[in-house]
Amino acid sequence: MKLTLKVWRQKGHNDKGSLVEYQAKDVSPDMSFLEMLDVVNEGLIKKGEDAIAFDSDCREGICGMCSLVINGKPHGPELGTATCQLHMRTFSDGDTIVVEPFRARAFPPVKDLAVDRSSFDRIMQAGGYVSVNTGNAPEANANLISHHTAEKAMDAAACIGCGACVAACPNASAMLFVAAKVSQYALLPQGQPERAKRAMAMREAMDDEGFGNCSNEYACEAACPKDIKVENIARLNREHLRAMICSDE
Amino acid sequence: MNCESASKCRVTAFMTSSLGKKFTVGAAGLLLCGFLLVHLAGNMFLFVGEGAFNHYAELLAHNELLPLAEAVLALLFIAHIVFAIKVRFENAGARPVAYESYDDKGGRTMGSKSMSYTAALVLLFVIVHLKTFRFGDDKDGLYKLVVDWFHNPLYAGFYVVALAGLGLHLSHGFQSGFQTLGLNHPKYTPIIRKLSIAFALLIFLGFASMPIYFGFLGGPR
Repeated sequence: MKLTLKVWRQKGHNDKGSLVEYQAKDVSPDMSFLEMLDVVNEGLIKKGEDAIAFDSDCREGICGMCSLVINGKPHGPELGTATCQLHMRTFSDGDTIVVEPFRARAFPPVKDLAVDRSSFDRIMQAGGYVSVNTGNAPEANANLISHHTAEKAMDAAACIGCGACVAACPNASAMLFVAAKVSQYALLPQGQPERAKRAMAMREAMDDEGFGNCSNEYACEAACPKDIKVENIARLNREHLRAMICSDE
Repeated sequence: MNCESASKCRVTAFMTSSLGKKFTVGAAGLLLCGFLLVHLAGNMFLFVGEGAFNHYAELLAHNELLPLAEAVLALLFIAHIVFAIKVRFENAGARPVAYESYDDKGGRTMGSKSMSYTAALVLLFVIVHLKTFRFGDDKDGLYKLVVDWFHNPLYAGFYVVALAGLGLHLSHGFQSGFQTLGLNHPKYTPIIRKLSIAFALLIFLGFASMPIYFGFLGGPR
């Protein structure tokens, strides 16, 4: 396959940045999108040019490190797929592909396609944990939970924190991410003691980072590589209201 | 309520939070939907005739609770608008550098994409509407005032366009209100989303039927 790439190049945080055109030749349809970028980078390095910076780690769709907005869509055109699992056979020979970073005030640019998503880490530090003393694993049946609820918690916990929800949201809101994290603990018995405090603290941390407000466009749900549902956002709304009204913490 | 400092006051904290602002917009919006239904039902007297409509209008105007109802209604409108504008401006700042190309992977609708535009259109409509009918000269009865205005095709046309905007606004807003209040359920949410379209159509067709009938289909003066 032969492709024309228009890649966002930006030297650093204070650089303005612009789209630069590259030709990608001999692209195998079996390559992942990131492998294709690796090949383009090899060519750039051989020519003595600066390689395109982009984030990646596990390359098997579970770490949440890869990003990219491909032809205007976070993680590319496929649904429920991270960029690392997106294969070049999704595109046609001769296509022009626009590659941009995730854009949000709370995701400041680092270089080219790499952005700083540590705002998510700070939200997690505010309440995305369970405070328990570690020790031996407790007896499995000691914590009562129905299979149905456990499944819902697992569905929420599937969030890999990649930030595609923020990238897709017309308001750059982080509601789906925070909703998934609040939900996974709110549904589990282990999350109950800090339930109210967590909902308030994580919402406050989200607001402090400068994300936008949710306006129920549901573009996040469609862009999520892990199919996190917007019913979690409704749960976050409920949890937050419950914490504000009922809790005296 | 324990309000030792501003940061400790729950109400202030809630109302200034992202979720609190949205909650206010959603709750006020849903209550305004209730007003629309009652308003539409009352307006249907326009089709019954001059006597019935004027009787209904006078009954409303002479009700002692009317000023209270109008004050609550105005408060709902103002809360809905002020908080929505605040949220909209904050959202505009949340992505300082725009995408070169942006395409959603689904989820968004015509209604959701056009919320700001339809909101502006509806606000303009409400101002014009209040000026002509609520504060208009109805010494010959409200029926005559309304029907005379609706016989002006330009005025009737503006009404139909503005009400289409209101319908589009409601197609997103109605179901969005439920989601913001936390009311989402795998069984009921698909129904609420369909109901949102149905409600939008009912409000659009119901209200637009009056300017269309008198302005374009030769309804009697």
